[in-house]
Amino acid sequence: MLFSEVYGSYYNVIAAILSEAVSGELTEKRINDIIREKAFGESVLTIPVSLRNGSWPLLTRENTTPLKHIPSMPLTILQKRWLKALLQDPRIRLFSASESGLEDIEPLYGKDVFCFFDRYSDGDPYDDPQYIAHFKTILTAFHEKRKLRIRFIGHRGTLHSWECIPYKLEYSSKDDKFRVLTSSPRSMLTVNIARIKSCELLDFWTDEEYRPKTPVQKTLVLELKDERNALERVMLHFSHLEKETVRLGNGLYRLTLRYDREDETEMLIRVLSFGPVVQVVSPGSFIDKVKERLHKQFGLRA
Amino acid sequence: MAYSELIKSFERTRDYMRQFYVYGFKGRSEYDQKSTRSYDNERRRIESWLGDYMAFRQDAAGKNVFISVDSRAIPGNPLYHAFKAKSFTDGDITFHFYIMDLLADGNEMSIREIVDAITDKYLSSFDTELTVDESTVRKKLKEYESLGLLAGRKRGRELVYRRTDDKRIDMAFWRDAIAFFSEEDPVGVIGSCLLDKLPEIPGCFGFKHHYILHALDSEVLCNILLAMDAGRCLDLTIHSPRNGGVEKHHTVFPVKIYISTQSGRQYLLCYHYIFHKPMFFRIDSIHSVAAGAVEKNNAQYGGWYDKFQENLWGVSTGIEYHIEHMEITIHIADHEEYILERLEREKRCGQVEIVDAHTCVFSADVYDAAEMLPWIRTFIGRIEKLECSNSHVIETFYADLEAMRAVYGGDNDAVQ
Repeated sequence: MLFSEVYGSYYNVIAAILSEAVSGELTEKRINDIIREKAFGESVLTIPVSLRNGSWPLLTRENTTPLKHIPSMPLTILQKRWLKALLQDPRIRLFSASESGLEDIEPLYGKDVFCFFDRYSDGDPYDDPQYIAHFKTILTAFHEKRKLRIRFIGHRGTLHSWECIPYKLEYSSKDDKFRVLTSSPRSMLTVNIARIKSCELLDFWTDEEYRPKTPVQKTLVLELKDERNALERVMLHFSHLEKETVRLGNGLYRLTLRYDREDETEMLIRVLSFGPVVQVVSPGSFIDKVKERLHKQFGLRA
Repeated sequence: MAYSELIKSFERTRDYMRQFYVYGFKGRSEYDQKSTRSYDNERRRIESWLGDYMAFRQDAAGKNVFISVDSRAIPGNPLYHAFKAKSFTDGDITFHFYIMDLLADGNEMSIREIVDAITDKYLSSFDTELTVDESTVRKKLKEYESLGLLAGRKRGRELVYRRTDDKRIDMAFWRDAIAFFSEEDPVGVIGSCLLDKLPEIPGCFGFKHHYILHALDSEVLCNILLAMDAGRCLDLTIHSPRNGGVEKHHTVFPVKIYISTQSGRQYLLCYHYIFHKPMFFRIDSIHSVAAGAVEKNNAQYGGWYDKFQENLWGVSTGIEYHIEHMEITIHIADHEEYILERLEREKRCGQVEIVDAHTCVFSADVYDAAEMLPWIRTFIGRIEKLECSNSHVIETFYADLEAMRAVYGGDNDAVQ
């Protein structure tokens, strides 16, 4: 059963509060801090009251508890089965997870249960020892706050050497690829891990050197006609982006999207895929690109 | 009943969150649930769970509430929060911590011993109306045994319980994998709950093209997976807005879960016992599932899959599984060799044939060629010829192109 209170926010918050009570470190202020940090927006109105009025007799007025141990909970069978299922995924080789303790557990699902039917077929080589080694080195760099020297093959086939601070390990389910987002004093760079030829750990970086990239966001305004279930299709397709929708009336909607400037070509073909039910309203430069594609298309037909 | 930020049932919340997330232009009066008070409570709850991810807009019709998330920039799926808001009784939470504490040393205790210890060691410290009895504790221990938190065994004539902690499962080694798969796995909410227990969560992972809405269907998906693993058939209760919200029931044998990485939609592929054919059901339209009997003849009800999937482009089986032939001739301009790479990696079936340095042909035999149209449109500007055994598909494509020409400037603009 997935929807159970044992996985709930309140149980975690109370465990955190009682942990400090068992250690004898709990204060009134800490109770409120823990609730604000770990629970929901309005939890601070309910949890302290229930702890104080005897509804949940777990904490004394002096902020001590009769509990003898730091609260903990074993893994549920559902959690163990989920972990066991992950061991069948080829990407698990990138991590240090092991079967230890799960030998007699049935996986939650078989390895062929899911079919990602529109995923691109040139995904990363998760069984390549060199790829795995590079991934693990990058992961170590994140954990130990170390710089990296990466040698990789660029899009034009040339070998580059890049000394950098990694700040994000980004995965795309559609592409089935990992990319490492990096910064250096000179610039920012995104490197596909599959293109890396060598990867070595360098010195520790300092906070002054750490300058993660703020992506340049662009705004795209679309008008869509709710024909052929377009409203739902478009909303779901672009739902991963920050967006705002306004109903204009007569089955017409205006959708404002924010997207990364680097993804403009991808956004263009995604808009084209909806055909005439989606019309670009702004910016003009984007409209020009749509017109250019159409112009080429009608040129080919002629 | 007084407002609470916790909920007993997930179903109503699932629907509200979906509407806030997908649409977001609806006003208060358009949520046709029980009452406006019910809307106010749901909105307040979701606001409490999601905090800054909730956004508001005021227009002439009133206030619109929506969930706005750039899923590339978030540390974790905020919709998982809803799963962590299950309500409980005062006894549930209190006895949880007492029982876990009593058994924390790895010892075994009987129900009687646990009841006595709760009274003597814990409740005696408080001025409380909460009392404990054997029946309540027995129910709690049984529940925890089924969750796998406790293991019970007979000791003489009485049942004794112990915790199921296993030190061999070292979460320090699992930490990165859980952080990654809690976002990437279709039932990643399970991992999210594991992360909640860890002292530190790795913040290095980011996700592009990351669809998060499926989180709301996790319980339904989880129940389907459990039934599939047990080889059981399923009774589905479907609640599809496209059918006017009419509730329908189907008994099926589950075979696969189809997931779109380009919309986040999830589908159950199954064999329908009444209609005697493979069918897809959208998981977000499944209201509930109940596992039925074990299917002894699963080769008959699942063995068709390998052949069946050869002609699937997406999740449409067209009209009675007739095969339609599609051929697209693509123009490759100078220095546009990447178009060939695109065709190869994006095609889901069919083949690419290179005709000459500037031309290639992609062809496929599929159940529903119309399903390919969105993908084909991504090649607008390069399509020399489109042929299909279903003439309606060709007509739609060219009619759409003409409509786009009209939309973007008609005869007087650059499109011409």
